[in-house]
Amino acid sequence: METFGVWIAAILTLFIFSFLYKENPFYRFAEHLLVGVSAGYIIPYTYYNVFVPYAWNPIINKHEYILILPAIIGVFYIFRFSRKLSWLSRYPIAFSMGIVGMYVPLTMQANVLVQMRSAMLPLTNINTILIFIGTVSILLYFFFSKAHKGLYGKFTSIGIWFMMIGFGSAFGYTVMARISLLIGRIQFLLKDWLHLMK
Amino acid sequence: MNFFERMQNLDRRYIFILVAVAVILPLIFPLGLPTYPTPPVESMFQHIDAASNRKDKAILMSIAHDPSTMPELYPMEISMLRHCFERNIKVFLIGFFPQAAAIAEMALKEVLEDYPDKSAGVDYCNFGFKPSAIMIPIILGMGDDISKAIETDAQGNKLENLPIMQNIKNYDNIQMVVEFSGGSFGGVWITYARAKFGVDVGCGITAVIAAQTYPYLQTGQLKGSLGGLKGAAEYEKLVDIFAKPQKTFSRKKLTDKQYLKQFPLSKTTYKYKKARIGMDAQAVVHIMIIVFIILGNIGYFVMKGQKK
Amino acid sequence: MKRQLPLIIVIGLGFLFVIHVFVPHPISQDFFDWFQKWIKVISPFALSLGIMSLTTVHYHKIKKKAPNWPYSYVTLIGLYVTALTGFIWGIEEGTPFMWIFRNLNVPMGATMFSLLAFYIASAAYKAFRARNLEATVLLIAAVIVMLGRVSIGNAISHWIPDATIWLLNVPNLAAQRGIGLGVGLGMVATSLKIILGIERSYLGGGD
Repeated sequence: METFGVWIAAILTLFIFSFLYKENPFYRFAEHLLVGVSAGYIIPYTYYNVFVPYAWNPIINKHEYILILPAIIGVFYIFRFSRKLSWLSRYPIAFSMGIVGMYVPLTMQANVLVQMRSAMLPLTNINTILIFIGTVSILLYFFFSKAHKGLYGKFTSIGIWFMMIGFGSAFGYTVMARISLLIGRIQFLLKDWLHLMK
Repeated sequence: MNFFERMQNLDRRYIFILVAVAVILPLIFPLGLPTYPTPPVESMFQHIDAASNRKDKAILMSIAHDPSTMPELYPMEISMLRHCFERNIKVFLIGFFPQAAAIAEMALKEVLEDYPDKSAGVDYCNFGFKPSAIMIPIILGMGDDISKAIETDAQGNKLENLPIMQNIKNYDNIQMVVEFSGGSFGGVWITYARAKFGVDVGCGITAVIAAQTYPYLQTGQLKGSLGGLKGAAEYEKLVDIFAKPQKTFSRKKLTDKQYLKQFPLSKTTYKYKKARIGMDAQAVVHIMIIVFIILGNIGYFVMKGQKK
Repeated sequence: MKRQLPLIIVIGLGFLFVIHVFVPHPISQDFFDWFQKWIKVISPFALSLGIMSLTTVHYHKIKKKAPNWPYSYVTLIGLYVTALTGFIWGIEEGTPFMWIFRNLNVPMGATMFSLLAFYIASAAYKAFRARNLEATVLLIAAVIVMLGRVSIGNAISHWIPDATIWLLNVPNLAAQRGIGLGVGLGMVATSLKIILGIERSYLGGGD
């Protein structure tokens, strides 16, 4: 069964690689199968790992009947596709959105205040000075309420250079990531399927 | 059409063939290039290693990716599980996508083949799939009581009844949360678990987002980071030369050739060196892409000059 | 009722959660415990939306015989056969459900994304041009990172990995921080708009 599985996996891998030559029915088959199979995981996992422990067991086995209320609210999601009753689906969405309240103080803390504090370290060496100048110039570059002219414009243009280095680094890393994904698949074909690797 | 124009309009399928060859050849004929660990990976290793043999500390691996990024992230997950099992570190796994939960199952099975004495509910616990819609309530709830927030493991067992949960109550007992993701570097954990409860966070990420982690590494909001296949390769090496022989991390040993000689790559099982083997091909393709960029630009400037 | 009540729920919960962050009172804790229990019961139903949507789209494609409609059968069969195996044999390691994951989902998912490697190499040759000074800086930074992240860079000169580390830790850090601060402030502003009832698009159209 294991060898059969490896062959199936290898054939499907080649089906998708065939797109590199041109689009063809093998690729389309694999593409559609991938969409279906990927979504197929949602149903049993949700049933066993979420619905049973969080809804079924408390209501049926522990008799926490109050939880029937959120279960009914949950069922309202299904009305999203109904023309007349789609407004009911707003209730479960509203419950999920409520937690956004926490975003405000916690995002402010984690993504703004802590980051700002570290941007204002004592300017004791060239690196901290560069980080400070880079951060401030980028922030000013995105400040559109003042025209980027004169000295101010020159300072904001420094931000562009920092961003270009940032984008360049991200680009270098992106190339790396894409190649790594290919390496993983070729390793599978050469090692697990063809046994060409030691 | 002159030579440069022809080169500029080269059918991309020739380039595809070159890429395939540049990946295949170094995998069949390995170059044996060395792996040099970098500070974010060393820091992650040390932080996790500090929980070895501790009954009151555990590592939480949050798997937040699907198979599309497995070539980069799966070797990290395998290595981290191996590290935890070698050094007797309690480990929890949680998946916030259905496929992430399946990846956690797969990784556990693969590593457990070499650690038959490790058992579920005692040495490790897979919390299973929890939908991303309740990710934030679960992350916050774990700050008060992990058993109450998670409730059941992947097999449906009540968490509070499991032996692994003895001495484990909340984030005070979590040595580190490590998020493995293709699109986020532990952002949710940093924003909620760290900002509210102060838990240490690390990440295993695809190289695509690796550049974004640096501000968070500097602030200490990230205690460590494994970036892409290289990060995985570095972690594999650290597990091989420190965790496996039951040694603590030492930078001196890392540069000691005599010490390193004891751990040739050939002695390691394939699954624990997959990333390091892949890095040979990675190096060759990087060089090839740099050559492509240079050639492309030469053609561009020559043609620009001719047009003038 | 149709629009106002859900909006009141969002605004009410939103403010209660802001308070919950700052007030560790038992009442605040009880509120959070209640919310946690309810949202866990609501959440599994959300996932049904995706399945229903996928099924409807492909059902209509087959019904209307839209272009490539026979492939819709492949998607639907893949979807329901995978789900069925999970219900019949369970979802643990060693079951047919995991066999499908290992031998169908993993290879196809990973290969689909690996195609990008070919296109990025092709783009490197055909599109990445040093058209101006800014683009040149971007390309140089990219080349340094590409070299410095593999051991060949080290073999050429130890300056390359050193330069890479500096590049990532100083100018890149500043750039990511500047952008990140903007994103962070944007997230806070959007969240505020939601809990103040200004942003309502998540409720959808209609009455």
